[in-house]
Amino acid sequence: MRADKGLGLTLRYVTAIAVTVVFLFPIYWLAMISFKTPEEIFAFPPVWWPESIQFANYAVLFKDGDVDTIWNSMVIATVSTVCAMFLGTMCAYSIARFRTGGNFFADWVLSNRMIPPIVIVFPIFLLYVQLGWVDTYVGLIVLYTAFNLPYVIWMMRGYIQDIPLELEESALVDGCSRWQVFMKVVWPMARGGLFATAVFTFVFAWNEFIFALVLTRSDVTTFPVQVTHYFGGQSNFWAKIAAMSMLGTVPIFIAVALLQRFLVRGISLGAVKG
Amino acid sequence: MNSGGATGETVAGPGGPALLTRASQAADRNFKYWMIFPAVLVILLIGLFPVIYTLIVSTQNLTMMDEDTTFHGLMHYRALLEDARFWESLLHTFIFVVVALPAELIFGLAMAYLFLERLPGRQIFVALLVLPVITSPIIAGATWRLLFDNRFGPINQILGWFAGEPVPILWTVDPNFVYPAILIAEIWQWTPFMFLLLLAALSNVDQSQIEAAELDGAGFWRTFTRIVLPAIWPVMAIAVLIRALDLFRLFDVIWALTRGGPGTSTETISIYAYVLGFQQFETSYTSAMAFLVIVILAVSITLILRRMEIDR
Amino acid sequence: MARLEIRGLRKSYGKVEALKGIDLDIADGEFCVFVGPSGCGKSTLLRTIAGLEDINAGTIDIDGEVVNNLRPRDRNIAMVFQNYALYPYLNVYENIAFGLRARKVPDAEVKVRVGNAAEMLGISGLLDRTPRQLSGGQRQRVAIGRAVVRDARLFLFDEPLSNLDAQLRDGMRAEIKRLHQEIGKTTIYVTHDQIEAMTLADRIVLLRDGLIEQQGAPLDLFERPATRFVAGFLGSPQMNFVETKLEQADDGLALVFDQDRKLPLDPTRVPAFDKWRGRDVILGIRPEHMSRSGDGASRKPAETPLNVLVDLVQPTGTRTYAQFRLNGTEITVELPSHTVERPGTTIEILVDMSRIILVDPETQRVIPG
Ligand SMILES: Nc1ncnc2c1ncn2[C@@H]1O[C@H](COP(=O)(O)OP(=O)(O)O)[C@@H](O)[C@H]1O
Ligand SMILES: [Mg+2]
Repeated sequence: MRADKGLGLTLRYVTAIAVTVVFLFPIYWLAMISFKTPEEIFAFPPVWWPESIQFANYAVLFKDGDVDTIWNSMVIATVSTVCAMFLGTMCAYSIARFRTGGNFFADWVLSNRMIPPIVIVFPIFLLYVQLGWVDTYVGLIVLYTAFNLPYVIWMMRGYIQDIPLELEESALVDGCSRWQVFMKVVWPMARGGLFATAVFTFVFAWNEFIFALVLTRSDVTTFPVQVTHYFGGQSNFWAKIAAMSMLGTVPIFIAVALLQRFLVRGISLGAVKG
Repeated sequence: MNSGGATGETVAGPGGPALLTRASQAADRNFKYWMIFPAVLVILLIGLFPVIYTLIVSTQNLTMMDEDTTFHGLMHYRALLEDARFWESLLHTFIFVVVALPAELIFGLAMAYLFLERLPGRQIFVALLVLPVITSPIIAGATWRLLFDNRFGPINQILGWFAGEPVPILWTVDPNFVYPAILIAEIWQWTPFMFLLLLAALSNVDQSQIEAAELDGAGFWRTFTRIVLPAIWPVMAIAVLIRALDLFRLFDVIWALTRGGPGTSTETISIYAYVLGFQQFETSYTSAMAFLVIVILAVSITLILRRMEIDR
Repeated sequence: MARLEIRGLRKSYGKVEALKGIDLDIADGEFCVFVGPSGCGKSTLLRTIAGLEDINAGTIDIDGEVVNNLRPRDRNIAMVFQNYALYPYLNVYENIAFGLRARKVPDAEVKVRVGNAAEMLGISGLLDRTPRQLSGGQRQRVAIGRAVVRDARLFLFDEPLSNLDAQLRDGMRAEIKRLHQEIGKTTIYVTHDQIEAMTLADRIVLLRDGLIEQQGAPLDLFERPATRFVAGFLGSPQMNFVETKLEQADDGLALVFDQDRKLPLDPTRVPAFDKWRGRDVILGIRPEHMSRSGDGASRKPAETPLNVLVDLVQPTGTRTYAQFRLNGTEITVELPSHTVERPGTTIEILVDMSRIILVDPETQRVIPG
């Protein structure tokens, strides 16, 4: 294994590139369709590379106001992320430093992460009908906050445990109240973890489908639901599906690319530190 | 919160300020509870309310027609036990779990080994490979819908090259191909998740232990089962658990590709519950099903966690 | 400026009792050092004074006010932590100003006070840096600056020097002492290092297993230890302890050893030890209180010769440590360099019998006399 280093490396390179091509091909195809003309999309055999990159498919989305759904997604994901981060970090601090509620409480919090959305979406829907929260920002924001809280609490608990206790004690002696310690020491010290966790919280809210499908009608439709509106029985609106999907996916790709180093810890519930 | 703030360094004497101090001291003692209070309140919205609500409604008889809130006992649960479509949806869900999970694990592990040793540009490969994971599942489903199109999609085209003749597979309609189609999309999206976690876990394995085993003449398989596997087990267990739970609630990809069809042949628990609840408005019946799912999950998670001891 | 009075202080962590009843008075302006082996409760005691730990019983009284129920911020205490506790996201200026900001001191005053503190510690040039850009010694200064700037009534230090390398430690030790002389604030300093304790303290409080073993001026403790533990803890190399017996010899008492070796007691001390005649005792003798006969110096009357076979020689440059066996125990003796060159030599050791202590083997307490 070690002896044929040169050959091994080349072989691994070729394999690595092949694997990457396979995994990226669907995304490539999606992107290409979004730039194709209708003739190219419905050509047989399929066109592998469009004649010219054209943005007509995107222009239509902007003209018809379909991009509003991106805005809806943005509002809902951003506000729910901020709420979840703030409430979750408070709770995580209490658990990490005071063992509030003991192991039972920590386990209970995490177990809420495991509930399948389909199980709760039904009662929530009926509740929201009563509250008048169906098809409103607040309805989805509260729900996404709730659904993200267990994750935020779990992750932030790990990050907060890594903050040296001395920093907080020093602040206490220096004249801070508990709340000031939280705001002036814990918050800035956990900054790295906050960003990493927030990205995943945001991604979840951004990508979520079932809740949005059930709890929106037309006012606050999010972009994943909008994409499914383009599905037809026989003829799909291919160009729209592709362009809309790209609009909704590329921002997430960029956000995650910027936070590469937090990636693993973020998606493994902190099981891998680093 | 700000007692003693403006007074600078002077310390509260026995007079008035001491009272203030005592008051904020009580605030200190309750601080930890105030800190969890808002979060708990919000979590209860998903963690407690739905459970209680579904339990209550499941013993009534609410349907699209009827607002019957009298107690009907376990009627719906009994009906559920005799509902072939429910058991089939459970079976479909089970098939997806037992096929996709090992596939993702094995492919993920193979990829992790591929990138484990030094490979220039590894960071870039990893960054690209993670993209499927962060794509919205419904978008992933939509994308595969385009790929699988029998006429304009590239998959049939590529298969045609190998077959030497046009391949006209109706991926999302033909009962023989809907399962492979859904599984391919699912495995495509989540193998990189396994890959990423296993790569991180493998990188953390103590290299000197592996070298010692190799010096002792242990082969790859022996080294893997004796040293590597125990070392990566905690991470692997969490990855498997997360994915098993996700697969159990599989909805988006199927929704985009087949909507449970043809007929009900790819209907999972989640899809069936959605159809029952939001298309047929069988409120009480759906609630009974939801509650049953909660019970099944709660029991199996507890058992699994206890077995794997990954809790802490 | 503060007096501290502690009465019957107890603190447990679950089943572990960290402090088992502490009574302690510290006078205004005193430099008090808590010393003791690791895990004896020094930090715990300090932290209860700071208010960072709740206590189970007893009172803590600062300047006549019981502070048991005061939160740390209301006690007006400054504390320097072992790992400096600097905020990595703030620069040095803001780190020092942190306590003032928390108390909403006006900007202008913050500026003056931080400036003065930085001046005093010689870190005026570092104010714009972040803690990461500082060396260990500089970080330590900033940490002390944070305490000094506060003008608190009581200064607490928890092993502030243990993260510094030896050379830096000596310098900082002197500086802390100088700082105390300048500011004159009541200071409590925790260390496990007996040399730090000896050099810094007005008063040493020696803790052991959650209790005060002995307290007093450094030289008092060194010369008149109350227990074998204190005698063994202070001094380096450690005091030697040998199990032996006190017997009648000639017209006085003598300690008897194997191979018929004897050490007659100093006649002036015989009356005090008279009731130990014929009983087992433990002899305590510091390495520096023995010498080799024929060193040139004339023999003092209290010195008694003892023939020993050296089995280990450890030269340090300035002094040489030689070891020999006595009643089955390894004894270390501190000698001038080149006094013994190699093991295997038999030499005559002179023991200064006026400096020995005798310990009761039952109670491990030093027998007065
Ligand atoms: N937070 C804690 N929880 C449990 N036990 C503790 C805690 N802090 C200290 N202890 C125990 O209390 C005893 C005294 O500790 P400490 O005061 O830190 O000793 P030291 O003299 O080394 O500073 C030790 O036995 C230690 O194990
Ligand atoms: Mg300590």
